[in-house]
Amino acid sequence: MSVPLLHVENLGIHFGPPADPVKAVDGISFAMQAGETLAVVGESGSGKSVTALALTRLLATPPARIVSGKIEFEGRDILQLPDSSLRSLRGKQIAYIFQEPSSSLNPVFTIGYQIHEAIELHRPEVDDVEKEIIRALDTVGIREPAKRLNDYPHQLSGGMQQRVMIAMALACQPKLLVADEPTTALDVTIQKQIIDLLKELKQTSNMAILLITHNFGLVSDFADRVAVMFRGKIVETGPTAEVLRNPQHPYTRALIECVPKLGQKQHRLKVIDYAGIQ
Amino acid sequence: MNSAVPTSETYVQRTWRHFYADSFARNGLRIVIVLFIVAALAPFLANSHALIRVADAQWSFPIFHSLQPIEWRFLFYVPLAGVIYLCRNQFFARPGRSILYLAALIVLIEIFIGFTHPINDTSNDRDRPASFKLMPMIPYSPIESTPDSFSPPSWKHLCGTDSTGRDIAARMLHGARTSLSIGFVAQSIALTIGVAIGGLAGYYRGWIDIGTCRFIEIMDCFPPLLLILVAISLFDSDKGNNMFYIMAVIGLTSWTGVARLVRGEFLRLSALPFTLAAKAVGASDGRIILRHLLPNSLGPILVAGTFGVASAILIESSLSFLGFGMQAPTPSWGDILSDARRYIDFAWWLAFFPGLAILITIMSYNFMGEGLRDAVDPRLKVK
Repeated sequence: MSVPLLHVENLGIHFGPPADPVKAVDGISFAMQAGETLAVVGESGSGKSVTALALTRLLATPPARIVSGKIEFEGRDILQLPDSSLRSLRGKQIAYIFQEPSSSLNPVFTIGYQIHEAIELHRPEVDDVEKEIIRALDTVGIREPAKRLNDYPHQLSGGMQQRVMIAMALACQPKLLVADEPTTALDVTIQKQIIDLLKELKQTSNMAILLITHNFGLVSDFADRVAVMFRGKIVETGPTAEVLRNPQHPYTRALIECVPKLGQKQHRLKVIDYAGIQ
Repeated sequence: MNSAVPTSETYVQRTWRHFYADSFARNGLRIVIVLFIVAALAPFLANSHALIRVADAQWSFPIFHSLQPIEWRFLFYVPLAGVIYLCRNQFFARPGRSILYLAALIVLIEIFIGFTHPINDTSNDRDRPASFKLMPMIPYSPIESTPDSFSPPSWKHLCGTDSTGRDIAARMLHGARTSLSIGFVAQSIALTIGVAIGGLAGYYRGWIDIGTCRFIEIMDCFPPLLLILVAISLFDSDKGNNMFYIMAVIGLTSWTGVARLVRGEFLRLSALPFTLAAKAVGASDGRIILRHLLPNSLGPILVAGTFGVASAILIESSLSFLGFGMQAPTPSWGDILSDARRYIDFAWWLAFFPGLAILITIMSYNFMGEGLRDAVDPRLKVK
């Protein structure tokens, strides 16, 4: 078995006083191979975003405390890395896209400038940066990229802003893309477009994608493997088709049942019974 | 303009449009610009030396012989700044080349200034006979005493004269230079210190923030004017007459308001997603502070700066009034006012004109500041 791209082992992240901590992440372990797409599914508060941010130590460590575990990216433990190596890791090896594209872009700079910054930081060998930016914008499906270069974020729609964020993330050609609920703030048709874009990118580059979502519907067509998180623990993991067809854990089963099915006559939405899961 | 459709104007353009639409702000800005021009050109507007003098068929330009180096610098650098502003697009297009040309120009100017030999005489060309002479608008020097002391405003002395016969109008024009430059530089110092301290406190939070806040509170306990008086009296008395010391002291004591403001902005901005996105792409702390957070907080900083210049001018005038700041013969509005204290019962013009000048200047800056405050507010919509 080759060295996994990302290997998280027994990661624990606590908030609050050490005597009585809130265990946001309670001993999770998972691994990702290069080029693989892993979806982490769970409800709000299950610890998905905290895990994603912890991967490059983006969590603010005064309120958060990483109490246990290690995160190995290509064999190196991220939790032990010095700051300068961490900064060259971020963006170049591991890139992020966040949930709210409108507030993830700096409002006072053009999108061209912001992508330029990303390229400037990690690929100093590039000569014609503007051409690179136009190429990146074209790859994510923005029409007339040469004109859009000088637009400000507030001039773009939500879907376009998210595409710009993806372009920023891709500009440095990372090995792992962490997508933290990238489509939650967008409406359904744009959701599909963004997921289609990610699928296309998955095929053209050998980029691994870690997709965080609470929407099981996104997962089936897109992810190779899925991990289900519940209250800080991974309760089930496996190839997507398997988990969807044959969920083992009661929580997974409940989650899958919660997705309304087209054509099915439902009088009441299914509610998860937490007491029955513990 | 339909505000539902996003326009392609930048934040700066939108702010300017909003600012310009406010008539108070617009006119305040115009008055301040006029004041700056007048202050810069003061030696050409009020001087006892002639602009052009023809005597015995010889043309001479006495005014240029009397210019001090600082006045030469005003003469060259203010229009240079204006030219750079007008050609700013070309200037910043190739910054390396532009800086090179600028540096060469500055070297040439300084060499030229080095060759000038200002004559430090107070002789005046009003009385010297000549076949033709063109005197400046106010043909008196601000430091030249005439025997006409305490003369009320007349055609000869537009604002009257003071106790030693110095022309008040000339002193006012040169005093504008003192007041405006002290106000501007002192506030720049205060802004720099305040932004640095407040920014670091707001970004790093934790103990740095706690320590900085306590330090700000300690600084705030001192009444500002008293603090400045103490600082100035610690120096030798002739240093009190030195503009740079006053600028430094005012700057070092009035930064706390800006620091609080910047700390608040940075606290808010560093919690927004785009800061996290910048960190995620690998930007260092310094880069985030300077390139991402600072441009976003420029609005409140500029507003505080504008009000601060007004306040610095007022402090400088108060200092001169009390006798601690610029003293005679250096012209300053507050200094004229302090003279007025004693002679107010018959020489009303000693109080009226500098008081009016201070009033108009401070009001203009305040209107500008209020206009800016409304203009940078992203919530207010402008038609």
